[in-house]
Amino acid sequence: MGGKDLSIADQKVNAQLYFCLANACLRGHAVLLYGGMGANKTTLVNLLGSSFLGLELERVEDLMVTGHPEQTEEKIVGFLDPRQWTGQEAGPTQVLWTSWALSNWKLINEINRFPSGKQNLFLEILQKRRIIYAGQVCQPGDTCYFATMNPEFSATYPLDQALLDRISACVPAYQPDFLAGLLLSEREKEVRDLAAMLPRFTEEEFSSLPGLVAEIPLSSQVELAVLCLIRDFTLCERAPSYDKTQLSGSKPSLGLCSGCHYHNNPEAICWQADEGLSDRVRQDLRIFCRAFAFLLGREADLEVLRAIAPYVIWHRITPLASRLEKPPYFGAGKLAYVAELVNKSIDRTMNERREMNLIYSRAMDGEISASQAIEELMLFDDPIARLDYVPSLESRP
Amino acid sequence: MKLSSFMNSVYPEGNPSSRIKKSRKDMIFSLEDLADRIGERPDRARVEELVGGEASQIELLLSSQPDKRCAMIWGYVSSLAAERSPLPLRLPARDYVGLELAGGSIILEKGRDHVGERMSGGRIKIEGAAGDYLGQEMKGGGIVAAGCRDYAFRQMKGGWGVVKGDAGKFLGLGNSGGRIAVQGSCRERAGWMMRAGRLFVRGDAGEYLGLLMSGGEIMVRGEAGRRAGWRSKGGRIAASSFGPEAADGALELG
Repeated sequence: MGGKDLSIADQKVNAQLYFCLANACLRGHAVLLYGGMGANKTTLVNLLGSSFLGLELERVEDLMVTGHPEQTEEKIVGFLDPRQWTGQEAGPTQVLWTSWALSNWKLINEINRFPSGKQNLFLEILQKRRIIYAGQVCQPGDTCYFATMNPEFSATYPLDQALLDRISACVPAYQPDFLAGLLLSEREKEVRDLAAMLPRFTEEEFSSLPGLVAEIPLSSQVELAVLCLIRDFTLCERAPSYDKTQLSGSKPSLGLCSGCHYHNNPEAICWQADEGLSDRVRQDLRIFCRAFAFLLGREADLEVLRAIAPYVIWHRITPLASRLEKPPYFGAGKLAYVAELVNKSIDRTMNERREMNLIYSRAMDGEISASQAIEELMLFDDPIARLDYVPSLESRP
Repeated sequence: MKLSSFMNSVYPEGNPSSRIKKSRKDMIFSLEDLADRIGERPDRARVEELVGGEASQIELLLSSQPDKRCAMIWGYVSSLAAERSPLPLRLPARDYVGLELAGGSIILEKGRDHVGERMSGGRIKIEGAAGDYLGQEMKGGGIVAAGCRDYAFRQMKGGWGVVKGDAGKFLGLGNSGGRIAVQGSCRERAGWMMRAGRLFVRGDAGEYLGLLMSGGEIMVRGEAGRRAGWRSKGGRIAASSFGPEAADGALELG
């Protein structure tokens, strides 16, 4: 693995490891490890699976599916038991489920080697507790989902936006740094031997983790910052119902924002990315904030949100090339660029938006009249005030 | 939980880190926004006062595409940007680039109209040809252009201008100072009503060179057209040869 690339206030951790650990503490969420060959993406997930499930490494390795064009639903999920056609007894259709389908630790290896059509299979499976095939239902229970992928190579396929939206966090997997390389050189034991030395969770301990995470409270600042962050990306003055996720043909990169009041305003985020964010992002931000706070033994505060939000958002959006290609991003620093947008949104919510948020809340609670609030809110040149708060107050009886 | 209770928990009273809209209240979101605040007669002082010194604000305005109403304002912003830039600033070809420029350097791939108008310092280099009114009413600084159209350096009071190619009509009209050098030729009425300053043309000059001039110097290395120095009251005109009806005082270099 690479170095400690994730800073949460004064704590520095390895993002690849901690996002996998956080996901192991959750259920029904998927983490995608993205990186070049040999960055130990698959090995890490399998090692963690071995530890969290209390299984031998080889058994965990048998649980994963690997992407290639010849993979079919039958090979991945299960197939009809052929013996039932020759038997005398009538009864419900028998399906032989694969070990991957039955497992509650699901790794989809090299997910972008599945052709686009076959990626649709995972739309249903990810984040669901049940798998349905041939009218039969497999219930592995609450499941941890992981996926790995390489950058675009000749045999890979682009990932569908809907599939990417179902992936809670995408984490770059870097090659081992200098010290890690040195340690790997000195390593005498095989990975499977090291896996045997890892602490093992009991089934009860493993299943208790989501409950422990859920007990971590989120501060009201995080709740508000998450809501505003989503709206900052999603609101668009020119989209139907101001909702950028409704756009199909036109988008900011195709000139949608030309002449718009917010266009080229560096404080506004709406025009800097083609896609809006779905409500899944809100859920993912909240739960991963809690999981990281649980892992690091700290409060789920804004520092945690600032650190994890870029990893939850960056794979779901396409930043405007004209912004991304400028220094210091040079077209390659998409994660850093999204981190800048995230920080901008959180700072604005915690500072400049204070007055307008208080006005809106007082109007909603009936402490001031809606017309007075609208008049005051119109003075704020902020997409949330103009496109969210004012229409909401106008529609009040 | 009431929404106002939730908001109050987010923004506790007396939180010193909170900055309300005041700091951003006067942020200018577009050239149109700035034009609305300035009114119908933009001037540099007002633009400078409203835009301030924040780099992101200048960058935002500079990246906008100005319409006719905002063209002069964009020109002022381009000058503010150049004066604050430690390196020469490369800008797109637009009208009024470097309007009232006082310092810094601007590089343009090609020029439109009114480039370097009323500039008092700094440098403007135009790699291609400029449009009309290049360096009009300039008081200082310098402009280098590959060529220019009509009314270049009109009513110039100081500074210098170099045109590496040909100039159009009415070059240096009404000048009262400054120096102009044209490496190519210029068309008719160069130095018209010139009162002071110098005009040098390496190639030929069109008719009515130095028409009604009362001071300054005009030297043409090539041939001047007819009626050079027509009704002039002062100053000096020299050319290698003159067309018909040249003024009596015109000096033929041969």
